[in-house]
Amino acid sequence: MSIFLQACVNGLLMGGFYSLMGMGQNVIFGVMKIVNFCHGEMLMVGMYLTYVLSTTFGLDPYLCVPLVAILMFCLGAVIQHTLITPSLGTKSFTNLLFLTVGLGLLLSNGALVLFGSEYRTIPTTYSQTYISLGPVNLALPRLISFGVLIVISVVLFAFLKYTKTGKQIRAVSQNPVGAEVVGINTKRIYILTYGIGTALAGVAGALLTGFYTIFPTAGASFGFRALIVVVVGGLGSIPGAFFAGIFLGLLETMVALFISPSYSDLIVFITFIVILVVRQLIIIRRK
Amino acid sequence: MNEKIQAVRVYRRNLTIVLGLILLIFCLIPVFVKSPYILNIFILVFYMSTLSMAWNLLGGMTGQNSLGHAAYMGLGAYVSCLFITKAHVNPWVSAVLGMVVVGLVAGIIFFPCFILRGPYFTLVSIAFGEALRQFIINSTFFGRASGIGLPFKRGDSFLDFRFAGKEPYYYIGLVMVILIYLLMKKIERSRMGYALRTIREDEDAAAAIGINPIRYKIMAVVVSAMVAALVGFFYASYTRYIDPELMIQAKSTESVLPAVVGGAAYVEGPLVGGLIMIPLSEFLRAKYSAILPGINMLLYAVALLAVIRFRPTGILGWYMHSGLKKTIDTKILKKPPVEVLEAVELDKRRGKEA
Repeated sequence: MSIFLQACVNGLLMGGFYSLMGMGQNVIFGVMKIVNFCHGEMLMVGMYLTYVLSTTFGLDPYLCVPLVAILMFCLGAVIQHTLITPSLGTKSFTNLLFLTVGLGLLLSNGALVLFGSEYRTIPTTYSQTYISLGPVNLALPRLISFGVLIVISVVLFAFLKYTKTGKQIRAVSQNPVGAEVVGINTKRIYILTYGIGTALAGVAGALLTGFYTIFPTAGASFGFRALIVVVVGGLGSIPGAFFAGIFLGLLETMVALFISPSYSDLIVFITFIVILVVRQLIIIRRK
Repeated sequence: MNEKIQAVRVYRRNLTIVLGLILLIFCLIPVFVKSPYILNIFILVFYMSTLSMAWNLLGGMTGQNSLGHAAYMGLGAYVSCLFITKAHVNPWVSAVLGMVVVGLVAGIIFFPCFILRGPYFTLVSIAFGEALRQFIINSTFFGRASGIGLPFKRGDSFLDFRFAGKEPYYYIGLVMVILIYLLMKKIERSRMGYALRTIREDEDAAAAIGINPIRYKIMAVVVSAMVAALVGFFYASYTRYIDPELMIQAKSTESVLPAVVGGAAYVEGPLVGGLIMIPLSEFLRAKYSAILPGINMLLYAVALLAVIRFRPTGILGWYMHSGLKKTIDTKILKKPPVEVLEAVELDKRRGKEA
C-alpha cells in the first residue's frame, strides 16, 4: 500500500512537469496551429541556462527561475521574429514542421558542442532532504518545484482569462483574420505566444535541475510528452493540459509499478494513439 | 510542323544523352574510386535518398508529414533478418516477405488513423515509431536491445546477398535508387499521383470530386512503408547487423532532410538533397567530430534552417525558376518553347486517336 501511495505521489510530482510543458506547447499550437517540435530542446536550454547561472554567479537554482524565464522569453521572441513569422507566410505545414525540427537539432547539438555530453547536476544543500508524510517520503526539491509550477499554472490561466493581452491571444487563436480586423496586431501576439511557450519550457527545465541530470538530449522525452498532453487535454485548454499532464505522470508510474518499468514508454505511446483515434471518432460521430 | 517535330526530337535526344552521361558517371565511379570510405558515402547516399523518396510520396506528394519512416525501415530490416536467421529463407525472398509484412502492418495501423488530419498524423507516426522501438527492446523474439546479426560466411554470393567488397553493394544500391525513382515517377504521372496531390491541396474538395481520400492515403502509406522496408533490408544486408537504435526518432528526421532540402514538391528532390546533404554531413563528421562532437549535426541543422528560411521550395524549387536552368535548357538541351512541345504532344495524341 505504501509503495502504491509513493508511486502515486511520484507520478503526481512528475506529471506536474508534463503539465507545464504541455501548457507551453498548447499556447503555441493553439495560436499558430504549428506543432513546436523543439519544445523539449527548449526545456534542455532552460536547464543549461540554470546551470550556467548557478555555477558562475553562485545563485540558487530556484532563484534562477525568473531570470531563466526572461531569457527564454527573449530567445523565443527572437526565433519567432526571425524564423517562424516569415515562414508562416508560405502556408506550408511541412516547412514549418521541419523548421522547428531543425531548431531542435540546432539547440541539442549546440549544447553538445558547448557543454559536451557529460551528465551534469547542480548540487544544493537540500537536494538530499526528504520530508516524511505518513508512509510517503517526499524529496524537498520535487516538492518545491511542484509548488512553483502550480503557481505558474494558475498565473498563466488568470493571464489568458482576464488580462487584455490574454484576451487578445485567445482571439487570435480562435480567428486570426477576425482578430486582425478588430485591430489586434497578430504579429506581436505571435511573438508574445512563442515567447511565453518557450519561457514555460525553460522554467520547467530550471525547476527540473533540482533533482534531474542535465545533458544535451534531456528534453527529448519531455518534448513528446508535451504533445501528448496537448492532444489529450484539448486544444487551448489550460486546465485540460494540467489534468492531462498529471494523468500522464500517474499512468507512467502505475505501469512501471504494476507491469514493468521498461514497458512504461510503450504503454504511454499506445495509450496516446488510442486516445487520439477514439477522440477523433467521437468528434466525427457528433457531426 | 515538320521542323517542330524535328526540334522536339533533338531535345529528347539531348535529354537522353545528358541523363545517360550522368548514369554512366555513376556506373564508372567504383572503377576509378577504390577508397572504401568514398564508396560507403555513395552507398549511404543511395539508401538514404531512397528512404527519402519513400517519405516524399507521403509527405511531399500527399501532404501527410510522417516522422516515423525509420520505424518502417527498421521493421523491414528486422522482419527480413528474422526470416533469414530463423527460417533460413533466401535473402531476396525474405526482402519481399519483409516488404509485404511492413506494408500490411502500416496499412492496418494507419487505417483508423487516417481520419486524423494535419499535425495529428505526424504525432501518430512518431508515437507508432517509438512504440515499435520500445516493443522490440522488450521482446526476446526480436533480440531485445542487443539486436540481430546476419550470419557471416566466407566468399561472395549474389544469391545470399553477401559480398566482401563495397562495389557490389554500390551497384545494387544504384539499381535500387533508379528503380524506386522510376516507380515514384510512374506514380506521380498516374491517376494515383493526381489524386494524392489533390488530397494534399484540399481533402474536402478531393472527396467532393469523387476521390476517396482514405483509400488513396492508405495506398500511399502502404507503398511508402514497403519502399522503406526495402531500404531496411538493404541496410541490414550491407551492415550485417541491426539493433533498435536503427529506428530512433533522429533517424526519421534524417530521412526527411534530403527531401526538404532538395525540394519536397519534386520526385527528384530527395535525390538532389541526398547528393548534397549526406556527403556534406559525412565530411563534417569526419573532419570535426573528433575535435568538437556535435558540430557536424549543428552545421547540418544550420543548412536546413537556411534552406527553409530563404528557399522554402528547396534547391530544386530554386533551380526550376533560375537562370541556370534557362541557360542549360536553351544552350545544351536546345529545348524548344513550351508551345511547340505541347503542339507536338497534341498532334501525336490526335494521330493515335485517328
